[in-house]
Amino acid sequence: MSNNIIQAQNLVLSYKKNEPIIKDTNLTVKNKDFVFLTGKSGSGKSTFLKSLYGELNVEDGDLNVCGFDLKNASRTKLNLLRKHTGVIFQDYKLIDEWNVEKNVMLPLMIAGYSKQVCKMQAHKLLKHVKLSHKIEKMPLELSGGEQQRVAMARALAHNPTLIIADEPTGNLDDYSSEVIWNLLKSVRQHIGSTILVATHRIPQTLGIDYKQYFLDEGTIYEVT
Amino acid sequence: MKSLKNHLSFIIPLFILLFSIQFATMIDRGVKEYETHLAGEYTIVAVSSIALEQKILKEKIPAIKSISEIQKDKYIEKLKSDISKADLVYLRANLPKFYTIKLTSLPDKESLKKISQELKKINGVSKIETFKKTFNKFHQFLQMSKTASIFFTIFIFVISFMLIVKQIEIWTLEHKKRMYIMGLFGAPFWMKSASLYKSVVIDALISAMLVAIVFLLLPNFADLASIKRELGVNMSNFNFFTDLTKLVFIALFISIISVTTVILKQKNS
Repeated sequence: MSNNIIQAQNLVLSYKKNEPIIKDTNLTVKNKDFVFLTGKSGSGKSTFLKSLYGELNVEDGDLNVCGFDLKNASRTKLNLLRKHTGVIFQDYKLIDEWNVEKNVMLPLMIAGYSKQVCKMQAHKLLKHVKLSHKIEKMPLELSGGEQQRVAMARALAHNPTLIIADEPTGNLDDYSSEVIWNLLKSVRQHIGSTILVATHRIPQTLGIDYKQYFLDEGTIYEVT
Repeated sequence: MKSLKNHLSFIIPLFILLFSIQFATMIDRGVKEYETHLAGEYTIVAVSSIALEQKILKEKIPAIKSISEIQKDKYIEKLKSDISKADLVYLRANLPKFYTIKLTSLPDKESLKKISQELKKINGVSKIETFKKTFNKFHQFLQMSKTASIFFTIFIFVISFMLIVKQIEIWTLEHKKRMYIMGLFGAPFWMKSASLYKSVVIDALISAMLVAIVFLLLPNFADLASIKRELGVNMSNFNFFTDLTKLVFIALFISIISVTTVILKQKNS
């Protein structure tokens, strides 16, 4: 894998043919970068993120994520890519029938770790997100902030190369937001993951170096 | 409670489907045994001016099991007082030979016609009596029973299969969100669908066992036992190992095919 974790060249993304949401966009994110993608609501931030983990197909141009060429990528290739990425969704996407512990264990179970290792890692991460006491709870028994912290723990469980977060603090109170940002900073520091966050509001007191991109009318610009 | 209801919604149609298949199998088996029983009782009578040899007859008509000559002495003895000794000697010398012919299995109408024609071609054979009228009545009844059981099975099979597919569609919708989220983290198809497959395999085994239990207990019902006695046949009972293996195999096959079809259909939609 090269030093570039994300490389988009003349990327075009759309849900309907000839109605592109992202038009002819170029973007390079290097290893261990902390990147913010900002833009108005409906500008296509989530659409762009979806293409990074293969939920949306590349219509034109090239997109390479973690060394995987996503143009016409097979299902097997996408599954492999997803083992290298950790995604945090605005709507959490937790499995309602599973308790907190099992939700966090999910990426590790997929990676093929033993149940014991999965449990140990889940407990460790839940301690980091300050939810050790809610390990047996079901997602619907938690508040929005707590659910997002569980989703955060799940995204970090398998030490992914790339963490993609879509408005991770959009619906959260100040305390939960702070926990999320601190954790993302710590992950970048200790694990060295590359982090890409789509948000409409960058926290004022982040205290780390980051890059900012702005998405407007389907094109991504670097903010200097 | 919801989970139990979900499982019963799958087990019941699968049970009915397996029951209908096993029922048709038992009917078919019973009819076959009854045919063998009838074949044992069924006899063709042949009249011939010369002696017939079993070996030659069997070579020409393989459906023949055995032939035996009807002893006419006792009938001639009855005439002793009515006709002269010389006439008796003449009668004994010139009366044709009568044979009863048994077949290996109960033939259908066409086969019987053929057998009769072949027999008539044999040198010396002057008359064949197949008792066609009585025979046809029996045979038509047996064929009707078989056809009715096949139609019944097909009808039940289609209805039950539709119910099974509907239930799997409900399950797949219930599992859709979980499978989607697992997919977002790179879970392969088998892992996403594992719990669905596990459910149907367990339910398939339960259904097959229930059908086996019903068919094991069925012969003990007084009504059925008396019917069997009156028919004078020993209809085969449920063979625990071979029949259960067959039921388990069919149940697993139907369940796995239905789940895979529904999942793939949803995946592509």
